[in-house]
Amino acid sequence: MLKMNNISRIYQTDTIQTHALRDFSLNVKAGEFVAVTGPSGSGKSTFLNVAGLLDNFDRGQYELDGVSVQGLKDDELSRLRNEKIGFIFQNYNLIPDYSIFDNVDMPLRYRGFNARERKRRVEEALEKVGLASRLKYLPSQLSGGQQQRVAIARALAGEPKILLADEPTGNLDSLMARQVMEILHDLNKGGATIIMVTHDPDQAREVSRNVQVIDGQLADFRIYAPLERAEGNTEKTAVVSAEVADA
Amino acid sequence: MRSASMFSYNLSLAIQSFKRAPTLYFLIMLTLSIGVGVLCANLALVNSMASNPIPEKSDTLIHISMNTWPEDNPPDEQPLYILRYRDAMKISESGIGIRSAVFYASGVYARDAESKSMKRFDSAVRATTPGFFKLSNAPFAYGSAFEKSHGMEIVIGDELNQKIFAGENSVGKVLELDGELLTIVGVLKPWTLRPLFYHATDGHAFSLTDDIYAPLETAMDLNWSIHARSSSTDNYTHVAQTRDRDVYYLQAWLELPSSNDRQALQSYLDNYSKSLKVAGQHPLAIRNELHDVTEWLVVNKVVDHKILAFTLASILFLFVCVFNASSLLLSRFHAAKFEVGLRRALGASNRHMLMQGLTESVLLGLFTGIVSLLLSWLFLKLSVSFLPDLANIAILEPKVLLLGMLIALLTSVASALYPLYRANRYTISAELK
Ligand SMILES: Nc1ncnc2c1ncn2[C@@H]1O[C@H](COP(=O)(O)OP(=O)(O)O)[C@@H](O)[C@H]1O
Ligand SMILES: [Mg+2]
Repeated sequence: MLKMNNISRIYQTDTIQTHALRDFSLNVKAGEFVAVTGPSGSGKSTFLNVAGLLDNFDRGQYELDGVSVQGLKDDELSRLRNEKIGFIFQNYNLIPDYSIFDNVDMPLRYRGFNARERKRRVEEALEKVGLASRLKYLPSQLSGGQQQRVAIARALAGEPKILLADEPTGNLDSLMARQVMEILHDLNKGGATIIMVTHDPDQAREVSRNVQVIDGQLADFRIYAPLERAEGNTEKTAVVSAEVADA
Repeated sequence: MRSASMFSYNLSLAIQSFKRAPTLYFLIMLTLSIGVGVLCANLALVNSMASNPIPEKSDTLIHISMNTWPEDNPPDEQPLYILRYRDAMKISESGIGIRSAVFYASGVYARDAESKSMKRFDSAVRATTPGFFKLSNAPFAYGSAFEKSHGMEIVIGDELNQKIFAGENSVGKVLELDGELLTIVGVLKPWTLRPLFYHATDGHAFSLTDDIYAPLETAMDLNWSIHARSSSTDNYTHVAQTRDRDVYYLQAWLELPSSNDRQALQSYLDNYSKSLKVAGQHPLAIRNELHDVTEWLVVNKVVDHKILAFTLASILFLFVCVFNASSLLLSRFHAAKFEVGLRRALGASNRHMLMQGLTESVLLGLFTGIVSLLLSWLFLKLSVSFLPDLANIAILEPKVLLLGMLIALLTSVASALYPLYRANRYTISAELK
């Protein structure tokens, strides 16, 4: 589904060069739920932004759902973002004076769907996150957890191949975080591929795979056996193998 | 269908954007409108001044200036544009060209001879040979031109006909003009000549067409006074005496079959002038000048150079306004940077964002256009109240309105170009920070 091979991303400012990603390689298969952890400043967000085509990279190859993204034009990249990727941000990134409906509807506008199709998808996506009754609300009238669920609905509405979430529960208290995680797990069970940056070790442990980024590189590759989520029992977790992304 | 719905989406985004920062957009619109309005008002003046009043004939109607002053101190350095009666008649009877017009400007008080009211209307008179009407394409509503330079017949203009006869067909009616009775044989339609090419001298270029057109000889015999420049070496007490005296006051135009026939006319005049000189009637160099309508308007500086300088100034001013609007928009677009990033993150392409920005600036341009045209109308109104001479020039023709609208759109889009370019320059992740 997602193949990164020796990706480098260098930030050049007047005085310093930051290697946010160096020779970063990762292979995520369809249906996986990958948690990305690592210290602050290690390059997790940079990785996710590159994966989501929100940032360029300087070297390496990146293939998304069979499409090699190097050299694609802006139009083609935008189409990929719109059709294949659902992005979930830490701070929700909802437009404050748009209704919930209009926020979820926004990416569909660039897809060329007619009004009926858009309405069907928006309602269906909001249904999935349990907010179908709040169509006309403004973001400010919802709790943080609800806002993040709206953002998830927005990511889902386009029926993407892959969901990318950058610390989706970072701004939420544990109860709301729990609800958001439930939704992500449900989606994953329904077949969605998810890559999630998190600093919560519990969240990292309860997914199918956890990768660590340190200093712009993948440091540790552990694949956990799928969990019996209901128990949430971390004891059962076993290191099955360490697998480097296919070269 | 798809692009239509994208367009209506962009339109709704533009309106939303205006609603989010109404004061800012109002300022931008006002800034641009003042710039466009001033330029547009100025262009209206230039347009009136520079327009061709008779495009179908402007290169075959020829105005004649001659050097026949009997002494060696002529009043002008240039050949005189006003002619002596006998010179003018010589030319008009020469048979050169299709037709000619020889005339002078006068004025009388006019009233309906049958009316009980004694109210008289101060009327501008063109005392002219009959060729004038066809030469100048004067448009007749009723009746026709008089056919001789003699006779108690007149043609009147629409405005006078409105005043005296409420616009009715007044052919056959009699007007009392300074105590004399003359019969109306023709009535003109409303007739605007801007500039008034047949009398572009003496500051008359933006006067209205005349109220009364009278046969030349009749006007002279009735001693209707000369209301434009005259220069003379002889005295006279009655206009009829000017027929054989050295009084220069008539203007002469010839209509040639084509502009190629000018040379023949030039030789004719030069030979005539030479024969006068040989006969000892004037001591001057043989210098006769021909000007077609366009040249004549240039020679008479009908387009005021001060106005052109003002045009340049208003164009520069418009640039300043565009820079101003652009920097205001830059701050607006900076505030919208996050939303641009978000839209792109969710699948809008740069082209989408560009179209969204352009839709907004075209809409802003339309509003700007409307306000600009209102402002330029206001500027012109104001100018006329301070400078009444501008009354017949300060006119917003449809083509000026259209041009103003176009300039407003252009400036609005131009103001948005740099901010738009800036907005699409960053990576999406940077825009979302
Ligand atoms: N736009 C940028 N310009 C310069 N440096 C950046 C930029 N974005 C990130 N960095 C640097 O790249 C490194 C990785 O950042 P990031 O991917 O945000 O880390 P994480 O998400 O793991 O905290 C950090 O040192 C950060 O300062
Ligand atoms: Mg981060």
